[in-house]
Amino acid sequence: MTPQSTSRNPSGSPFQIEVVRRGAAAVVTLVGSCEMLEAERMMESMVELADESTQVIVIDMSRLDFIESTGLGAIIAGHLRLRHHQGEMRLVSPSTPIMRLLELTRLTQLFHVYPSVDAAVAGAR
Amino acid sequence: MKEIIVPNDLAAAKQPEELILSELSICGYDQNISFAIKLALEEAMTNAFRHGNKCDPCKCIHVRYHITPERIEIEVGDEGDGFCPDEVPDPTLPEYIDRPHGRGIMLMRAYLDEVSYDGNGTRVRLVKINRQEP
Repeated sequence: MTPQSTSRNPSGSPFQIEVVRRGAAAVVTLVGSCEMLEAERMMESMVELADESTQVIVIDMSRLDFIESTGLGAIIAGHLRLRHHQGEMRLVSPSTPIMRLLELTRLTQLFHVYPSVDAAVAGAR
Repeated sequence: MKEIIVPNDLAAAKQPEELILSELSICGYDQNISFAIKLALEEAMTNAFRHGNKCDPCKCIHVRYHITPERIEIEVGDEGDGFCPDEVPDPTLPEYIDRPHGRGIMLMRAYLDEVSYDGNGTRVRLVKINRQEP
């Protein structure tokens, strides 16, 4: 996976996926608005990253403005791949509307939500 | 109602969303309602593109909408064979929670006041009431 990829969507801020390695973890920062088109690309990115035998994927949501169900599905798809090698997906600092989305879909039962990237990388809540 | 017909293409499907969000802004709707409408439209358009029209580029997505300061009403129709929304499983049940797909209808229902399908499920009607203080 490339460390950074960007696309511009017409109705929201440009969507970017930034990836930085921190030891056994990959920190994926989602920036902007993840809409229909971007979500398809994110699905490929998540699966690809999970298949690289990454032990932990940390999704930093602090700069994410919007995500729809295909984008949530991309995170779940990455989680399922990670489970093949006992890996784990961790979420960080979603905004209030996105936290509500995670709660409504009960994905908070599937993923731990951490207050910071450091805490998520360390696995300390 | 205003009507816009777009090709069955995810990029083209953004056009009605832009128009509708722009009208919401003109009517003074707040960010919470804009978020809800954007989410519901993304879900309805994705469902029309993928499940209704089966990604067929020869088909179209039909969008009708009527927006007033009090109420937002949108219809999204596809050219597929239809489906039964009651047969879509609840994605929040433990046995479905880790499935990557199947949350669109549930999210539309969670964020809107009314979500209803026509007889064969090829058209969804979305309604949001404005409960903001004037």
